[in-house]
Amino acid sequence: MRIGDIAAFAAVREAGLAKLLPNRPRIAVGMGTCGSGNGAESVFHAFSSEIERRGLAIHLAPVGCFGYCAEEPLVNIWVPGRPLVMLRQVQANHVDAILEALGRGQLPPEDLVLCRIEEWDHLTGHVKYGYGYPEIPYWHELPFFTGQVKTVLRNCGLINPDDIEEYVAIGGYQALYKVLIDQNPAAVIEQVKAAKLRGRGGAGYLTGNKWEFLQKAVDPDKYVICNADEGDPGAYMNRNEIESDPHALLEGMLIGGYVTGARRGIVYVRAEYPLAVLRLERAIDQAREYGVLGTDVLGRGFAFDIELVEGAGAFVCGEETALIASLEGHSGRPRTRPPFPAQKGLYDKPTNINNVETWYNVAPIVSKGPAWFTETGSPKSPGTKVFSLVGKVRSTGLVEMPLGTPLARFIYDVGEGGTNGRDIKAVQTGGPSGGCIPADMFDTPVDYETLAQLGSIMGSGGMVVMDADNCMVDVARYFIEFTHSESCGKCVPCRVGLDKALWILDRCTLGKATHQDLQALDELCRMVRDTSLCGLGQSAPNPVLTTLRHFRHEFEDHIVAKRCRAGVCEDLALSPCENSCPLHMNIPRFLQLYREGRLEDAFLSVILDNPLPASTGRVCQHPCDDRCRRAAVDEAVNMRDVHRLIADEVLLSDRFDAMVERVRERRLEPTGREVAIVGAGPTGLACAFYLALLGHSVVVYDSRPAAGGMLRYALPEYRLPKAVLDREVELIERMGVRFLFNVNVGEDVTLNDIAHQYDAVFLAIGTWKEAWVYLPGTELTGVIPALPFLEAVARDEEVPVGKSVVVIGGGNAAIDSARTARRLGAEVTVVYRRERKDMPAIPEEVEAAEHEGVKVAYLAAPHRIVGDRNGQVRALEAVRTKLGEFDTSGRRRPVPTDEVVRFECDTVVLAVGETVDPDFLKASGLKAKEAGTIEVDRYSLETSRERFYAGGDLITGASNVSNAMGYGKKAARNIDKRLMGRKRFPDLFPAFEYAMEPPETPEEGGRHVPPELPAAARVRTYDEVSLGLTSVAAVAETSRCLRCDIRSAER
Amino acid sequence: MSEKVKVRIDGEVLTATTGQTILEVARANNTYIPALCYMEGLSAVGACRLCMVEISGVGKLQPACTTPVQEGLAVVTASPQLEAYRKIALELLFAERNHVCAVCVSSGHCELQTLAQDHGVTHVRYPYGYPRLAVDTSHPRYVLDHNRCILCSRCVRACAEIEGAHVWDFAGRGIRSMLVSELSRPWGEATTCTSCGKCVQACPTGAMAEKGWGVEEMTKQRSVVSRLSSMREGE
Amino acid sequence: MMDRPTIGTCWLDGCSGCHMSLLDIDEGVVAVLRKADIVFGPLVDAQEWPEGVDVAVVEGAISSQDDLRLAQTARARSSVVVALGDCAVTGNVPAMRNGIPTRKLLERIYVEGATDQPQIPTEGVPALLKQAQPLHQSIRVDVHVPGCPPKPNAILTVLSDLLEGREPDLGSRLRFG
Repeated sequence: MRIGDIAAFAAVREAGLAKLLPNRPRIAVGMGTCGSGNGAESVFHAFSSEIERRGLAIHLAPVGCFGYCAEEPLVNIWVPGRPLVMLRQVQANHVDAILEALGRGQLPPEDLVLCRIEEWDHLTGHVKYGYGYPEIPYWHELPFFTGQVKTVLRNCGLINPDDIEEYVAIGGYQALYKVLIDQNPAAVIEQVKAAKLRGRGGAGYLTGNKWEFLQKAVDPDKYVICNADEGDPGAYMNRNEIESDPHALLEGMLIGGYVTGARRGIVYVRAEYPLAVLRLERAIDQAREYGVLGTDVLGRGFAFDIELVEGAGAFVCGEETALIASLEGHSGRPRTRPPFPAQKGLYDKPTNINNVETWYNVAPIVSKGPAWFTETGSPKSPGTKVFSLVGKVRSTGLVEMPLGTPLARFIYDVGEGGTNGRDIKAVQTGGPSGGCIPADMFDTPVDYETLAQLGSIMGSGGMVVMDADNCMVDVARYFIEFTHSESCGKCVPCRVGLDKALWILDRCTLGKATHQDLQALDELCRMVRDTSLCGLGQSAPNPVLTTLRHFRHEFEDHIVAKRCRAGVCEDLALSPCENSCPLHMNIPRFLQLYREGRLEDAFLSVILDNPLPASTGRVCQHPCDDRCRRAAVDEAVNMRDVHRLIADEVLLSDRFDAMVERVRERRLEPTGREVAIVGAGPTGLACAFYLALLGHSVVVYDSRPAAGGMLRYALPEYRLPKAVLDREVELIERMGVRFLFNVNVGEDVTLNDIAHQYDAVFLAIGTWKEAWVYLPGTELTGVIPALPFLEAVARDEEVPVGKSVVVIGGGNAAIDSARTARRLGAEVTVVYRRERKDMPAIPEEVEAAEHEGVKVAYLAAPHRIVGDRNGQVRALEAVRTKLGEFDTSGRRRPVPTDEVVRFECDTVVLAVGETVDPDFLKASGLKAKEAGTIEVDRYSLETSRERFYAGGDLITGASNVSNAMGYGKKAARNIDKRLMGRKRFPDLFPAFEYAMEPPETPEEGGRHVPPELPAAARVRTYDEVSLGLTSVAAVAETSRCLRCDIRSAER
Repeated sequence: MSEKVKVRIDGEVLTATTGQTILEVARANNTYIPALCYMEGLSAVGACRLCMVEISGVGKLQPACTTPVQEGLAVVTASPQLEAYRKIALELLFAERNHVCAVCVSSGHCELQTLAQDHGVTHVRYPYGYPRLAVDTSHPRYVLDHNRCILCSRCVRACAEIEGAHVWDFAGRGIRSMLVSELSRPWGEATTCTSCGKCVQACPTGAMAEKGWGVEEMTKQRSVVSRLSSMREGE
Repeated sequence: MMDRPTIGTCWLDGCSGCHMSLLDIDEGVVAVLRKADIVFGPLVDAQEWPEGVDVAVVEGAISSQDDLRLAQTARARSSVVVALGDCAVTGNVPAMRNGIPTRKLLERIYVEGATDQPQIPTEGVPALLKQAQPLHQSIRVDVHVPGCPPKPNAILTVLSDLLEGREPDLGSRLRFG
């Protein structure tokens, strides 16, 4: 049917509405490439054959994609008069249940239902589906759609892209019709200029101005071109737009063509998008058939046709002059501008090129006006932009947001934060031409200028989210490899510069680069950026320059520490678990040794990696769990409990003495060098153990009467029995370490005295001072800081704890205090200002505390402690907080409300954090950091004073046992190297022979968790809560390891 | 329709004609802006990026060889930044292929070698690529040594624009770009080649040379190209 | 009396032309020797590169394990290292083999090219490195004097500058090939 007049237009519209809102139910299957990839084709066929077989009166149609990739395939179900219901993750085997429910007038199974839509504004028209189903959330109530504004994607996933009549039904081609009737091209260009529509291909040039250039060009032959050569890895918005709504593109180009005086339009689309090509071909055919394209467009005497050209997939052909060269049949190489395409473009004729998405904004601007358009977005960049949000976020998909929206909204609201609740490190925007923005800058608004300031670009809208598993050096290398292979080779900086940049980056990933290499890389990348001929070369260095700027420490880790913390660069990491372990324990090795029944070898492997394996086996924060690849199958391997068992089976048995001898055999010849260690906590003990094995004479000073530091005096007995710690200390002592207890360094003996006596000094005094906090009432009787409280209990001293205790804080010290107070018979409430998932304490500990009857009040910010006339604590008052915007740590900021909550109590334990003793710091004369910690070289741990090293909490602030020990180990390695002039540390470790066979299929079964004392029993004693794994369970657990440490033979 | 305009190059006010490029105006006034892909008489392509200059009010560096002058334009042709970038570009060219001056017919008459020496390139800071590249000796009179080719496309343009034969063009892309005669047919078998030798005279390095010369012996008559071009301008 | 400055020279993978050019500075040699002693190199007798040399002048590319060791020793024991000539500065002719695998290279020379007892020697000859590399790829180089060989006056300028405590500047004497 040709649309030659208004009556015909109306008839087509009616025909379309009869399909979009038929008088019977409609089922629409989302069949973009993404949906099809997830099985939408078979879902469609299943519906089709079932409907036919059952003879149902149901209208079945394909639609495009609604953008929620993580929930594909999406299916829309509509019953006349009711809301449209969107179903998620529909597979062919759900079809029966859906049809049956529909037959009974019911909703499909609950787990398939995603959301409902009652009305939809297509911007060119309005559709009322119907009302009801209050139990289903509206689409915009889902986190993924929070804040999304569908302008470009206004029709995607709702109409049949293969049917021009449905497009006309939602008001399609009416903006064009209006423009053709008004016959005032200049006014339309003014509208686009007033809307300040900017090119969505990335550069952000004002579309109205470009159109004006073309309009003013005097030439009977002009071209408008749609650039659909979307080639960025990770970007697919243009593909989806064309697949889901091809007519909106044609309409935009028709309007643009008419007002600029062009008579021909060309869509340059990559051949790798077969479905987009197919749908666009069909749309063009239909448009010609209906008189929308051709010699008499919509019967208004305007001649315009659109041709589709498939590009061969060279990334550089997205650059407009290369695109033109490609259209002309030349190889895709850019040329310099001027002349600009608007002067001399395709076949030397005036030409205008706009990105797909730019064209999609045209019809809404014409139909709703520029004032409507500028309501959304930021003043300089109005409107919306479609982003492909992919990578390490929970919800991935195409996201259309107003320009100027802060990154945090994308990542934490729409994306719902990191997968498995993990921390996000950075987001890469703009694909190979963009850059990486670190998480602490997520308050950045996403618009052209701000991203450019950070060294990135908006580009076509790719957003790749990264976490600890992504190595930024590797990311930079990956993108340079991409642009290097996509460089056309015409200009020297891009052709050769990227080749040499790639070479340097390769050396970084192999750990072979130097600081000079980094400097050369930086200079070279600036040169490539500033002197390359086209946008490809000019922006190709962005991934390197931004990572050098924001993640320089990762480059330094690669070249100085020879370590890739993400575990991506294979030469610089053993396995994700080993890499995440502050002590770098060879975890797969001890798991395998234990699995082979070789307890003693397993113990040797464990103790040489970690001198306090039984303690850490109980209280470590287990970062290995977060990185374990087994978690992708079911749950992480329980590595911590296995090494606890290995340690217990030796330390607490008659094998102990023999094993001590075996460890002693590893000792190197005495060197005659003497080292003093200040602090017998985990940091000092670890350092002492290794220095003694290296043959040095080691003396450890501590102000307390026994070794262990926080392990002994802060960690409660029920978590870490002191008998276990005693055995570990004994082993270290038998390596030849001497302890001097009850000596207060700084008072009883000065650092200068020590300096004279020893060849090197290692400081590891930890953080024992309660952090200062502003809270009225802390002077009252009954207020105690957590550490003195825990230490008093550990020393079996009288503790002034009443019947009702409030603990302030959310860290491990808070939970330890709460559970200890519970064991002293008190009612305990923990008051914390954020949510549970934001607590720094180990989650299992929080859970155990709750089992033991500890109450936790979340979202309550302590405000003052109330006392009675005698100065005795009576209550804690807290202000109820509510969750605000996400801060740069990815947690929602607690915002105080007016509501005050009161907790009656007689004791308040302050567990708000610990710091280094400022008196010690001052007396030491060592250079300190603002945070009140000692400044050291990041890699050598040397302080500002020669031969003085420092580690643990003293340099990091309050941390945890394993981190602290990691520093002790590193210090021993560096001190030895300095004293002996060469690397001897690796000599301590024997070679272990064990099976290096990866499992063909992962062993079935979930994680083995040790049994615990029942909660009711344990609150009455200090007996250890966790009973540990049995040997049988531990062996089973070891076989769950996927052996990420094994490299393929081909490498 | 050309008109006179005033431009400022390195502080000096010069009179130029619209349609001229910055490089043409500068060279006409004895300010030498270095370039390897530019050659008088051929179209300018802006590929070597040695002629990048600073233009006041323009945020990005611009190639002098393709940027037309306009009234009031103020240009800086040499600055520490530009010099540093030119040095890098020259080093990159040396590191890309196998330029061994000691055994080259063009040594002493090579534009790349001369520019490197003029710009104080004492050594190349980037790793050499050492690609294995062929030498095409199939032509009876000329030889093409890919080891010395810098992909400036002067031969391509001389052949296409002056001789009208278009024997030469590029195959491949990026670092794997190669100069090819016809459709990768050996030069000696290229049926469109008229053996006029303009490509050889246009070549800035020893990549194209006449056969029979030894080290340092091949001098080129670069003016052949510009003379022919200017003679045809009236046509 | 102040210690006289010392110069060491060595010849890695090169043709000795640079040393010839060094001798070619004619009466300049006398001027140099009036200010400094040559303590190591093909021109003198010493068996080992001494400690505390002021200026090391290195000719040739690094092609073998022995070249690498000698270059590293020279670097460690000298204050200033001068890369003398194109082979040391760019790799030059020795590096023309770099596109060819070492094994193939040795076979071509010692097996295919041999007329008598074709075999690849393994004893008494230093192991070839995969590629011949310019000096600065393996050690830090302070002054580069390209040229094949460098002109005598270029060498003289650099040595005089160094011995008189000036930053060497080749200026218009800079030349490759």
